[in-house]
Amino acid sequence: MVKKIMAKTFLGVVLAAMYLPILWLIVFSFTDTTSVSAWRGFSVNAYIELFTGSNSDDIFKAIINTLIIAVCASAISTILGTLAAIGINSVRSKKIKFAYKQANQIPMVNSEIVTAVSLMLLFGMLRSFIVLEGEVQLINVILAHTTFCTPYVLLNVLPRLQQSDNKIYEAAMDLGCTPTQALWKVVIPDIMPGIIMGFIMSVTLSIDDFVITQFTLDGGIYTLSTLIYSKASGKKPLPIEMRALSAIIFIIIAALLLYVNTKSSSDQKKKITNTGAKKSPKRSKR
Amino acid sequence: MKKQTSKFAGFTRKYAAIPYGVFMAVFVIFPLIVLLLYSFCEKSVDGSLSFKFTFDNFKSVFSEDNFSMLINSLLVGLYTTGICLLIGYPIAYLLANKNYNRSAVLVMLFMLPMWVNFLLRTLATKAMLEFFGITMGMGTVIFGMVYNFLPFMIMPIYTTIQKIDYSLIEGAADLGASARVTFWKVTVPLSLPGVLSGITMVFTPTITTFAISKMLSNSKISLIGDYIEQQVKILNYNVASAISFVIILIVGISMIVLNKYDKDNANQGGGLW
Repeated sequence: MVKKIMAKTFLGVVLAAMYLPILWLIVFSFTDTTSVSAWRGFSVNAYIELFTGSNSDDIFKAIINTLIIAVCASAISTILGTLAAIGINSVRSKKIKFAYKQANQIPMVNSEIVTAVSLMLLFGMLRSFIVLEGEVQLINVILAHTTFCTPYVLLNVLPRLQQSDNKIYEAAMDLGCTPTQALWKVVIPDIMPGIIMGFIMSVTLSIDDFVITQFTLDGGIYTLSTLIYSKASGKKPLPIEMRALSAIIFIIIAALLLYVNTKSSSDQKKKITNTGAKKSPKRSKR
Repeated sequence: MKKQTSKFAGFTRKYAAIPYGVFMAVFVIFPLIVLLLYSFCEKSVDGSLSFKFTFDNFKSVFSEDNFSMLINSLLVGLYTTGICLLIGYPIAYLLANKNYNRSAVLVMLFMLPMWVNFLLRTLATKAMLEFFGITMGMGTVIFGMVYNFLPFMIMPIYTTIQKIDYSLIEGAADLGASARVTFWKVTVPLSLPGVLSGITMVFTPTITTFAISKMLSNSKISLIGDYIEQQVKILNYNVASAISFVIILIVGISMIVLNKYDKDNANQGGGLW
């Protein structure tokens, strides 16, 4: 019993320490001191400043850029990754599978900054052929994000394909489907959960990315994370509206994640009670 | 007849992987080749590839000017990894142990900070440290790194401990081992793969991430990541490439070591492909 209490206290203390700074920032978004070292009464000035202040245009442009990049990169990654998974699953040659496996690992294993530098060099070389100015530069960032998102799509879709029975596809063809029809009506619906999971992971990875975006985007165009960095790395204290922005982002992410996770864990419980103990526990790992 | 259709089907589906293959060749393999070329070439005025072979980039990476940067990186990396392991292992153990925790939400609460942008987390840490009047320096950098990377240590250890067959632990108890002996002789050795992957997931990002050290030391302490950023800013792509190449080597070696220990995982991966 004593052990249990000690364990719970330990977990609680670490958890509290992990969340303290975040709570701190949220609390201090409701006061208008320029530095967060003193409380000067309740105020929503930071939020007013965020929506109407001089920086609000830049902030909303950055948010739009972030979303454009996330949606485009995730869409491309999902298509590329799903196609690749279908292809790899039907290729018999072990050598080709091995080559894809190794190459797919590279962006996941490599240090972010290495990927960032290498892509920056590539885009630098391409610049002597095509010069991308202004918002068009986002294409570079979309391509860069696609490189690190696609591996995760592939790894989400491939297990689904391997679980599904190839005979169903063949049966569809025997019953008169063309390969394209069989793909759309049989294969894709079967692996849909993996595709959706891959897409969601890509969106979160893309929105969260800072290092690679910082290296592949310049010239006064910002995403949310590079904007935060540009405001935070200077000698001046952080503008108060950024505090409000951070607080809002924290709350949105926390709410979303809690919702998704509690939902998926209750779904899993339902599944387990429905199917009983037939399935091996290994499969319900994720 | 049936054989023919399936052969035809395999034929078309096989081509589905080609776009991604081409994409990887252009955006993954080729950039790394360019990086390698840059690291062995002389610097040119406008930052383009000069094709003049030299070792100077590596020499300047390991020159005396960078001595404190390299030592700082190593120290911050080692301290952060060590502290993360000391705090993270007990947490992972408790979370995976059914006697102490049965809730998935609690596990999630420990992983949740991972999904919040690290710049925001670092900003929050900085704000709090400033409130308490703590001077920015090595200590605060290590604190911020631990704060940022702790979930990356907890996660792999938690998954390996969870996978341990509980009957092994019961067996050890049945055969007369005390709880402590069971822990050190059964749980710890079986969780080593998780520990190793936790160490790599903390150590390399710690020394290569830029921004955190800068923000939490008021630009006093710069690590490898900050150095790369600084070199890129002054268009010295060659030195930036050289040090990136060194990072690739470090990561590669640790991956090889990890794969040797983590046979279980390797088998799983083999099954997937």
